Amino acid sequence: MYQTKKTFIKPGMKMSNLIFENPSLLLMLEHFGINIVVRDKTVEQICDEEQINQQLFICIANLYNGFNPTGINEIERPYTESIILFLKNSHRYYLDEKIPEIRDYINSLYDKNNNPEIKLVDKFFEEYSLDVKEHLNYEDVTVFPYFSYLAHDNKYPESKNTHYSSDEYREHHTDIETKLRELKNLLLIHIPLKHDQILRRKLLVALFELEHELLIHSVIEESILIPLIKKIEKQNGIG
Amino acid sequence: MGLDKYRINIAIIEPSAIVYEGLSNILLQEGEANYSLFHYESLDEISSEELPGKIDLVIANPSLNGMKPFEFQRKTGAAVPCVALVYLFFEREVIDLFDAVIQITDSPEVITATIHNLVSLKYLCKSEPQEQLTPRETDVLKHLVKGFSNKEIADQLNISIHTVISHRKNIVQKTGIKSQSGLTIYAISNRIINIDDFQE
Repeated sequence: MYQTKKTFIKPGMKMSNLIFENPSLLLMLEHFGINIVVRDKTVEQICDEEQINQQLFICIANLYNGFNPTGINEIERPYTESIILFLKNSHRYYLDEKIPEIRDYINSLYDKNNNPEIKLVDKFFEEYSLDVKEHLNYEDVTVFPYFSYLAHDNKYPESKNTHYSSDEYREHHTDIETKLRELKNLLLIHIPLKHDQILRRKLLVALFELEHELLIHSVIEESILIPLIKKIEKQNGIG
Repeated sequence: MGLDKYRINIAIIEPSAIVYEGLSNILLQEGEANYSLFHYESLDEISSEELPGKIDLVIANPSLNGMKPFEFQRKTGAAVPCVALVYLFFEREVIDLFDAVIQITDSPEVITATIHNLVSLKYLCKSEPQEQLTPRETDVLKHLVKGFSNKEIADQLNISIHTVISHRKNIVQKTGIKSQSGLTIYAISNRIINIDDFQE
């Protein structure tokens, strides 16, 4: 998020230098399940050690650096699991870390101001987090298992619900983005409070961070994962 | 939403990446308005439907092929000002077809002033969003947060459903808030309704 330069990441670059330029990459490493103590390894070395496809890693890292996905056509079936792992780890980050953090800020705001609007903001955010949870759960329980089966060329058990649609996906994403934007509007423009400058700034920054992560999440799904799944479905002769 | 409405969209038709990058840095850093830039390497990349609605200004290199169709489009399409980006000698007749000229040797100040002059009217119109709700919109909002349907609101305020919908649209546009719970918070914060009136 706090980018100072816009470097297009290439295999020979040192990971530590890239992190100094864009600390959000720490979160990306975490989502990939990679130790953030990168020593003096290059992008290429890290990918080799962790057995992550370099093309995929670079594509996602560059997404964090503000570039649209590139080289998507070369991302193939075997990388499905890496993408799913990345997305699952980011789910955990939203649910176990970011959403509770935001809730805490809202609660502290209420403690300080005892203002009925904040109670409503809390309720608003509660509803919002339920939406997010529901969507992530839909991915974890319905979508990802189906994708995994497909990628391993297994037949999906007939009894299970295979029904996912990319339209439904996109609609969920838009919903989630709109609500978050509303919350930012309320906090930045509309709700007047006293004694809350620092807390409100922390709350807003946390919301921006969550928004940024969710945006990357939906780009990965819509521009990388879903096209890959469509390709696999075609290879498998489905659809 | 919101911000994008107040942006000035500029199409830059220029095949040289170096020139484009330089120009875009000058406009984004020194420009007074909020510019969004769209880069096209040639005229062919622009579809004819795209130009009128979306783009407020065009900066083009007149040495490109097909400046004639472009001229044609200017005459038939929307009245979008066009600026020539010149780094070679050009016939006066060609240059005169454009609304203004940027020379490759112009200073950043001159370049931004040239652009600003052409879009200033639009910029003024665009940069002053009306945030305040009208009394009628406030009435509609009051009913909305109480959970009334469009039809009920129309009946109670003695206006058509169509009018209710148009008021709602304006409310969303001005506040940036769409959901009922978000609008409720907005209404309470702005003392449009009292928290005590609002019981769930």
